[in-house]
Amino acid sequence: MRRKVLLRSSWLPYVLIAPAVAVLVALSIYPLIYSITVSLQVGEVWGLGNFTRLASDGFFLTAMAHTFVYAVAALTCEFLLGLGLALLLNNQIRGRGFFRATLLVPMMLPPVVAAVVWRLMLNPNFGAINGTLKQIGIDTESLTWTASPGLAMLSVIAVDVWQWTPFVFLVLLAGLQAIPQEPYEAALIDGSSRWQTFRHVTLPLLKPAILIVLLLRTMDLLRVFDQIFLLTEGGPGFATETISLYIYRTAFRFFDFGYAAAMSFVLLALTNVISVVYIRFLKHESRA
Amino acid sequence: MSRALKYFLVVVALVAALAPVYWMFTISLKSEVDHFALPPPWFNFTPTLEHYFEAFVARSFGQYLITSAIVAVISTLCALVLGTLAAYALARFRLPYDLDRRLSLWILSTRMFPAIVTAVPLFLMMRDLRLLDTKASLIIVYTAFNLPFVVWMMRGFFDEVPRDLEEAALVDGDSRLGALVRVVLPLVAPGLAATAVFCLIVSWNEFLFALVLTQTDASMTLPVGIAGRVTQYEIKWGVMSAAGAVAIVPILVFAMAMQKYLVRGLSLGAVKG
Repeated sequence: MRRKVLLRSSWLPYVLIAPAVAVLVALSIYPLIYSITVSLQVGEVWGLGNFTRLASDGFFLTAMAHTFVYAVAALTCEFLLGLGLALLLNNQIRGRGFFRATLLVPMMLPPVVAAVVWRLMLNPNFGAINGTLKQIGIDTESLTWTASPGLAMLSVIAVDVWQWTPFVFLVLLAGLQAIPQEPYEAALIDGSSRWQTFRHVTLPLLKPAILIVLLLRTMDLLRVFDQIFLLTEGGPGFATETISLYIYRTAFRFFDFGYAAAMSFVLLALTNVISVVYIRFLKHESRA
Repeated sequence: MSRALKYFLVVVALVAALAPVYWMFTISLKSEVDHFALPPPWFNFTPTLEHYFEAFVARSFGQYLITSAIVAVISTLCALVLGTLAAYALARFRLPYDLDRRLSLWILSTRMFPAIVTAVPLFLMMRDLRLLDTKASLIIVYTAFNLPFVVWMMRGFFDEVPRDLEEAALVDGDSRLGALVRVVLPLVAPGLAATAVFCLIVSWNEFLFALVLTQTDASMTLPVGIAGRVTQYEIKWGVMSAAGAVAIVPILVFAMAMQKYLVRGLSLGAVKG
């Protein structure tokens, strides 16, 4: 019966899939191809000029370095805090549903609202942070946060950690709750310490969820644009300029679309390589 | 760890998550004089709605709000229709050459491009098509942006529906599409609703494409409208906070309504929560 049904409608799946594929080809694949042709032109001349220019562009290399610093620092903090919170709320805690729901508020905010929120918090004149510090007698003269070259990077990283730790927490908590009770009972019978149980039972079983959440966060951090653009516009000077911001500036402020396209392929290659590494780990994990 | 310490840490996390947002609400409700008061007034101030009136009546934020809603709703509907049909086919049919699995992965991979990579060519394409600074350009881009997500989520929900039910309908003489509409769709309705809410939130929050593709009040969405004020020199903090507060409301309502599916949606179905 099944076989007959499938045969009768053998054209149907293609008809159902075709519109979606057409839209994605037109708006994802065609733009990429278009972008390649743009990146291969300097003015009217075809060539690799935009790509060779990358290696000697100090701004590009600095933006690259900023992106890595930002990604590594934010990822580390978000992971450790998110894991800690997930372990904390995996206990029997009264009102857990309420806590879980409220902890999610930061990550649901539109990036632009998160930026408004933190501009208000960090404002040197009337921000809640400096206001509170002044109140307890700390001199805030030099604490201009997003306006200070030394503190700007720290500020944008802190805002990212504030907004996205809840996401790491949420995925890891779901992972923890999917772990069955049996291995814990076995560990208890063996007389394992809490650290041993965590190290040899929880962590290995949580590894797939950890890898997925690290993969998703890494991809987002490497391409970060919204928060930084809205908090500092890459400044002061060039202090918080990341790859995505530099590409944006090149394309939409200097109208050098060819060079912007070339840089965007470097970013694309970078995120691809890193995601392939993660996915290899994941596959290895699910086979083991 | 003692019980008291656990609760203390959880409360600290809650305050850290919420206090900044609450601070913005207070700014939106304070008169300008109170903005600069020291120590910062968290609770004692006389609330006023003047900034809300200025933002949504005297300035164009009301119009941005409507544009945001139109773009989010239409692009979500388009993505849902196209994506659900494709997801059903990918969940139910085995295509030759492993095509169903490969197509699914390819569709997912289009979602992985960094936004700035497609923003540059999409700007040039929309310029060529004379669609810059129109709502249509945003609707088109958001539809494509949400489509992989819909396919991936809905494929997961279809997989969970037992095939026997449909086969029974087919034996009773229903067509494939008839079985989809009458038997399967009602069963995946909660999943469909959750997927729709996700698309709405993504479109509502989206910033980069809206920044690149719109220029005037005619097509500006709320995020770009607010951002225009954020980056100006003389900043109207009260007005901005009022607009921000209003932008949050639909998001919070939706997010609370579909908490159950949040993890699955945010991890693209990789973790079933």
